[in-house]
Amino acid sequence: MLEEQLIAVEALTIVSLLVASIVAITVRRIRIPYTVALVLAGLFVSVEGERLILQLTPNSAWILYASIPEFIQNLLDFEPEFILALFVPPIIFEAAFHLEFNQLRSNLVPILILAVPGVVLSTVIVGGIIWISVGLSLGAAVVFGALISATDPVAVVALFSNLGVPRRLSVSVEGESLFNDGIAIVIFNIAVTAAIVGSFSLAQGVAEFLWISLGGLGVGVALGWLVSRAIVRIDDYFVEITLTMVLAYGAYLTAEQLQVSGVLAVVVAGIVSGNKGRQGMSPTTQIVLLSFWEYVAFLANSLIFLLIGIKINVAQLVPPFGFIMVAVFAVLVARAIVVYGLLWLTRLGGSEAHVPMSWRHVLFWGGLRGAISLALALSLSTKPLPESGMLQVMVFGVVLFTLLAQGTTIQFLLNRLGLAEQPEHIVARQMQLGRLYAAQAGLSRLADLRHDGLLAGDVWAGLRDEYHATSSQLSEEMNQLFVKYPDLEREVLLQSRREALRAERAALSDALRQGLISERVYRKLTSEVDHRLDALTLIREATTSSTTAPEE
Amino acid sequence: MGPIVCATRGGEASRRTQERAIALAHERGIPLIFLFIADINFVQPSNASLAEILVDELERLGRGLLRIARARAEEQGVSAEMVVRHGAVRQAIEDFLGEVQASTLVLGAPGTGTEKKAFAAGEIPRFAQEINTTTGVEVVVVE
Repeated sequence: MLEEQLIAVEALTIVSLLVASIVAITVRRIRIPYTVALVLAGLFVSVEGERLILQLTPNSAWILYASIPEFIQNLLDFEPEFILALFVPPIIFEAAFHLEFNQLRSNLVPILILAVPGVVLSTVIVGGIIWISVGLSLGAAVVFGALISATDPVAVVALFSNLGVPRRLSVSVEGESLFNDGIAIVIFNIAVTAAIVGSFSLAQGVAEFLWISLGGLGVGVALGWLVSRAIVRIDDYFVEITLTMVLAYGAYLTAEQLQVSGVLAVVVAGIVSGNKGRQGMSPTTQIVLLSFWEYVAFLANSLIFLLIGIKINVAQLVPPFGFIMVAVFAVLVARAIVVYGLLWLTRLGGSEAHVPMSWRHVLFWGGLRGAISLALALSLSTKPLPESGMLQVMVFGVVLFTLLAQGTTIQFLLNRLGLAEQPEHIVARQMQLGRLYAAQAGLSRLADLRHDGLLAGDVWAGLRDEYHATSSQLSEEMNQLFVKYPDLEREVLLQSRREALRAERAALSDALRQGLISERVYRKLTSEVDHRLDALTLIREATTSSTTAPEE
Repeated sequence: MGPIVCATRGGEASRRTQERAIALAHERGIPLIFLFIADINFVQPSNASLAEILVDELERLGRGLLRIARARAEEQGVSAEMVVRHGAVRQAIEDFLGEVQASTLVLGAPGTGTEKKAFAAGEIPRFAQEINTTTGVEVVVVE
């Protein structure tokens, strides 16, 4: 029996990955975000999958595959905490690992405003509207408000990186999502308990909120710091990758065991190890590690969005359609008040913290809902809350709306706001630079082969001259670019200085590892390099509008 | 005759401005000075701790840009000096013109580039007029 289950899990995984691959290939041709396409594929599988599989595979040998939709339903009937614990840590850890302290620090004010008071306000507004309009109990309405307040920007952030949207905007969206996931889960748990018990003490609620949140942050800092210390002393990327894997899941499970926020623990562990731990990694380890986590997050996102699509029963959404529309309205109103209202406060923090109006439009419309909301809604099945069925249907409806309506139109909005445009000269230079890098890498590889005696002298000479000619031509073309686009002079100087500073930083890490400098000297010198990198960012933002917030 | 001062900050109009200054220096046979002003007025109070490093990095950027301009002049047989100053752009330019007894100031008026401008639209001609009136220095604005 166990063997059959294991084979079914294997078959499910293979089929899911195949579907994800097909979707990934397909979305290159149609202009919708990958995760939205996965949900659509999941919906298709849930509606038509079983019939199609049975038609295509009538033989009993394929009966195993035919039972996949049923099996997926069984999987989703597992403890939803299992889904959360399996998929959420890698997705969150990968995003947090990429966030640089410097970028986070310069965006911390808007991120915290959106993630803490923003989630609380959103919970209250959505809960209030639902309570008044849908007729749910106040407790259930607040539970809905909390679980729908966690944003899921995977689809939006993927678009950002493709379209060259300003990095600061991308960091704001990612940072908000990371922290608001944790905060929303904490509020959700408090709200569920209050709804079940039937009473709520504000003082106790606030104390619980602080304990769970700060406890989660503490676990993340402690474990992140410990693993980072270990990573700095090891130079073996297999071990380093394994340690980050242990950290991602370990932080989550440890925090949950201590009854504090697992998600916040993973967020902070990811940020600490991504900054502190990465300083001691060799360039090779960094590349391998980042690629590994990118792939793991891709897998987790693919599976969870596919499962979202499969789990949503479209027919179930029809009768309460009016309530779903009210829920969508409430979510949009709350998001508008939080983004346009609360972010107004960033004006008080100076221009660095200020969020321009065009960015606020993106934050508003890009506030998609996804995996966390759905997993929390699923977890209601195991709780004695009488209105959980209705809450689940409303969550499915809102998630579907945000993914299909907002997720498919966010690119249009970015284009309209002029945030998706990379200046022609930047694209042109990147093209030339990319070609030059590729040519030099090719030449370097050939030189290695020649050195190892694997390439005959004549062949090597012929290919080498060809590569040299290509490199010379590309260098000349790059010089021509300076004539065509004079902006590049300043851009290239700034970028080159940044590269040089990064190399200085890496050299300091090497010096520390080799024992040439003490930790104290290392910290002092790297801090100076970091300040210089900050200064370059400010200079670039102050002199180049292509990378800065457009003026209101 | 005093030198030609070409105020440059890199960017869309800088190449045309530099070419014009080089041509004028060549034509008139007078010295050419490329001037870069490191202006950190964009620094907010929250970044004040960075001010010293910012000035240093801006000066590095300026020296880099000026070296490119000087090489460009030398290619055309014109030797040029390069000077980096810091402070508010207008005041620093005025001070420098007086200091070197300049005869001509060459300025660029960026049009369609992606850069943020030190002068708002329409301010360059007004600034040129003011400089000419107060110092008597000829001002050439390159569109």
